[in-house]
Amino acid sequence: MIRKKILMLGDFAVGKTSLVRHYIDNTFDDVYLTTIGVKVSKKMLAVNHVELELLIWDIEGETPSKKIPKAYFKGASGAIIVCDASRKETVEGIREHIGDLLAFNREAKYVIAYNKSDLLSAQQKETLSLSENTFLTSAKDGSQIDILFTTLAKEILL
Amino acid sequence: MRNVQIILNAILSKNIFEYILVDRKLHVISASQGVRKYVNAMPKEGDDVLEYLPELVGNEEEIKQIFVEKYCLYTLESVYKNNDYVNISVEYCDQNTAIILLHNITAITRAQQNLLQYSNESTLLYNTLQKVVDSQNTMLFVTNAEKIEFANKKFLNFFHAENIEEIQKKELKLYQKLDASLQNYRELFVSLKEGEKYLKLGKDIFIVQATQIEAAHTLFTLTKITDFPHEMQLDPLTGLYRKDYLNEMVEKSLQEKRNFALVVMDLDNFKQINDTYGHLTGDKVLKAFVMLLKQHIRKTDLLVRWGGDEFLLFLEDGSPENAILKIENIRKLIDEYHFETIDHLSCSFGLSYTKENDSVDSLLQRADKALYEAKIKGKNKVLFKEE
Ligand SMILES: Nc1nc2c(ncn2[C@@H]2O[C@H](COP(=O)(O)OP(=O)(O)O)[C@@H](O)[C@H]2O)c(=O)[nH]1
Ligand SMILES: [Mg+2]
Repeated sequence: MIRKKILMLGDFAVGKTSLVRHYIDNTFDDVYLTTIGVKVSKKMLAVNHVELELLIWDIEGETPSKKIPKAYFKGASGAIIVCDASRKETVEGIREHIGDLLAFNREAKYVIAYNKSDLLSAQQKETLSLSENTFLTSAKDGSQIDILFTTLAKEILL
Repeated sequence: MRNVQIILNAILSKNIFEYILVDRKLHVISASQGVRKYVNAMPKEGDDVLEYLPELVGNEEEIKQIFVEKYCLYTLESVYKNNDYVNISVEYCDQNTAIILLHNITAITRAQQNLLQYSNESTLLYNTLQKVVDSQNTMLFVTNAEKIEFANKKFLNFFHAENIEEIQKKELKLYQKLDASLQNYRELFVSLKEGEKYLKLGKDIFIVQATQIEAAHTLFTLTKITDFPHEMQLDPLTGLYRKDYLNEMVEKSLQEKRNFALVVMDLDNFKQINDTYGHLTGDKVLKAFVMLLKQHIRKTDLLVRWGGDEFLLFLEDGSPENAILKIENIRKLIDEYHFETIDHLSCSFGLSYTKENDSVDSLLQRADKALYEAKIKGKNKVLFKEE
């Protein structure tokens, strides 16, 4: 069996923990509980008839005063870069997270989640210009979460 | 060796450390009983340790390196395992064995988490509040010890600044634009206690208000007035209104048939002061004079500057006698005040009081005549003209 480590990267409170929880347990909680350290969750999936175990690293979000420990980056094949589509400052943080990931591993694959899409109006959604491998997700209503993870898995297995 | 064992047992019995021994292939050799609570099952001999500790996936090569370099150590901090937080470290034991230590740090991590949660929630609240104030149509800024510490988007945009640091670099002295006699924001705040002021910035006029928020923080708001009755001009030197504003006030009061006094005042020998001490001193005298006067008139009175060293005062008062008494007090006050550089200054006053069929002009004319008489009768006098 193939095991791959992937990271959830993004500023704090953008919904990294919630995305993982929805992906694994199909549940959502409105209450914000700050993640500290790292929690690894396993998810089995079959991609193009290949069995793959994703080890999803949900880590403490980056805050202005605390960078994500680089030790967590070791051995990661890819990352899901998450921002809160309703908060501009977290969208602006995406570039830096991608930079950090690639600085550590140039081969790493990534997909981007514009999360909390349920908070956006139809008009706001239209004005977003999303590039390739970018998904408008919601951990609240579950939209685009499966495709987010499977796209990354496919990229990694390529 | 015995001592080490005692210490080890003590540590293990406190549930602070658990261990798994693994071979060169990272297969389990044995494990301490307490490991179960972190990994949900008891690791059996021969199991792949990555089944229990998937946190190590991706780092297998680095960990195996321990057997080559012997003293090297692999660590991973603050890993959440089944409601506990552990630090995981892998150390060399002998050429066929490595020990994986699980160090329980739940207590301290929970404490850190509380702090982090508090700090993150504060940051989110701060961001939210920032958005709230940015959505306001009013320009606002907060000072702390004379430094502009916070400003909303409207304010930043108006002064072509991207952020608060750029505003700070500009060292905006808005109080000077409002009233040249003000030295700092503290004084502006104090002067605003007497009532809001108007500030002209470019083509726009703003109402300026201030609120003390905490001991250190003062909030200033600048609200744009869109339809102002007429192009209002403030005298930049003294911050006083100009005569047309007084005209308006007088006309309004006449229409409402209210009784009031109008005072024209002129500093005595001001030209000499300018000639002897220079115009800068002259300006300072004017400012000091205005400050002094403002301290002794009421909020409802209106003092305006009417060119050079002439001022007008609108005094709502029950009788001419009352008004005369007040002005006489002011005359004395100035006469006895020690002005910087010039020391002594006096002023002459001409007074008129409303009567039937009065207009702005008739009131002014009488006050002006009274002033003229005060001057020829030796200055430093208050005269009232009834007819
Ligand atoms: N409306 C909405 N709220 C979300 C969504 N995802 C997360 N949240 C909320 O945002 C807050 C932070 O989420 P969390 O997953 O802890 O963020 P993390 O710090 O990035 O792990 C929590 O209160 C969640 O309930 C979403 O898609 N929509
Ligand atoms: Mg989290």
